[in-house]
Amino acid sequence: MSGDAFRGLIPAYLDGELTGEELSAFEVHLRDCEDCRRILESERALMAAVGDALPRPSAPGALRERVEAILSPAPARRSRWPVALAASLGVALLFSWTWYARRPETRPSPVSPFAALAADTHLRYGRGQLPLEVASERPEDVALWFERRVPFHLALPQYPVGPGEVKAYRLEGGRLVAFRDDYAAFVAYRMGEQPISLLVTSATTVVPEGGTIVPWGALVFHVEPVAGLNVITWSDKGLTYALAFDVAVEGSRSCLVCHGSAEERRRLERFPGRPGI
Amino acid sequence: MQDRENEEAFRREALRCLDGLYGFALALARDRSTAEDLVQETFLRALSARRRASTGENIRGWLFTILHNVWRNEVRRRRPQAHEDANELGDNLATPDAGPEEALERNERNGRLGEAIESLPRPFREVVVLRWLEEFSYRDIAEILGCPAGTVMSRLARARAILRRRLAPSSETGER
Repeated sequence: MSGDAFRGLIPAYLDGELTGEELSAFEVHLRDCEDCRRILESERALMAAVGDALPRPSAPGALRERVEAILSPAPARRSRWPVALAASLGVALLFSWTWYARRPETRPSPVSPFAALAADTHLRYGRGQLPLEVASERPEDVALWFERRVPFHLALPQYPVGPGEVKAYRLEGGRLVAFRDDYAAFVAYRMGEQPISLLVTSATTVVPEGGTIVPWGALVFHVEPVAGLNVITWSDKGLTYALAFDVAVEGSRSCLVCHGSAEERRRLERFPGRPGI
Repeated sequence: MQDRENEEAFRREALRCLDGLYGFALALARDRSTAEDLVQETFLRALSARRRASTGENIRGWLFTILHNVWRNEVRRRRPQAHEDANELGDNLATPDAGPEEALERNERNGRLGEAIESLPRPFREVVVLRWLEEFSYRDIAEILGCPAGTVMSRLARARAILRRRLAPSSETGER
């Protein structure tokens, strides 16, 4: 083997890739070749410097929690509750306020993975770490964008605004978020300066669980505080939703995200738990 | 009972890989949110695949392979703006056509080895991370990346050449 050939083996030697006769021959050569020893030391110094300079990031805590939830043995599923047909999204937020205002006791339980993902997505979006993949205030645009990207049909409610009325919230857009074997739909709203996040997947992918169970009408809401946020999960019409919002958001006002019609707004105003009434 | 012990062993080993997988995902995506999505997707697929078939003993290499496949086959296809995200984070080697020489020119202006590593073209950066941070063998790296071992060696050699040139001025002054 020529001197050039031995020099070419130096990186492999330092990486522990030489074995057997090749390794023996190289070490014999190294004893007699000052050039190779000099190059080897130079390479060793370079690799040490690179090793020192390489960042060694730790997985963020929220990611670790999600991964631990993924790897945990699947919990026994609760019996399925009747699928509600008539209720809609914003009903959940009625409970957010009343439950947090009246809860008689806290009932600690592990955060459900879907609620954890909703909270994490909400926080990351708020920090500007999750760019939207579709940005539009038009629900039909956002729904159309999701149409071929998620394995379920997502219809976003319109907010009818009367003459001279100011819309209480605005739709900002959406993006895909990896969940289980597919993607969930993340829909971003904003009410004033406060973001409100809606995460949607199919009811066959996630059955809401955990938190405090609040039945209301035909729906069953799971209310849990996650990372300083309020998160409510529920299933309706074949989809499972998780709504995440800051505790500073007045819950019943957030109902307008989906309860935007005049009739529904009057209904919200009559709701006994509404703050300020 | 045996199944339960195997599952627990798998879980422990998989969790031990989490930081390394996240670091590799960051090296690929250069965007924290995309990296987190990659890692989460990796574990979801790993769990799903594990239920279908035996995965052998090299769980660590297998997880890195899944992550790289997810990145290559899905994220880049579905989220081409990941490169734009990287630009926003200050990626100074974002143009796809930029070659190692151009990377070097930029790195020499940057002044720090860490930045030089960060700005290596992705094919070089991924082998650097897998070899010098994760200490995978050339053969393992070839399996993870789905390329011949010779390609791994040549990419490492080119990465070394770029980084050596980056270090040259400080080496001449006696610094490492």
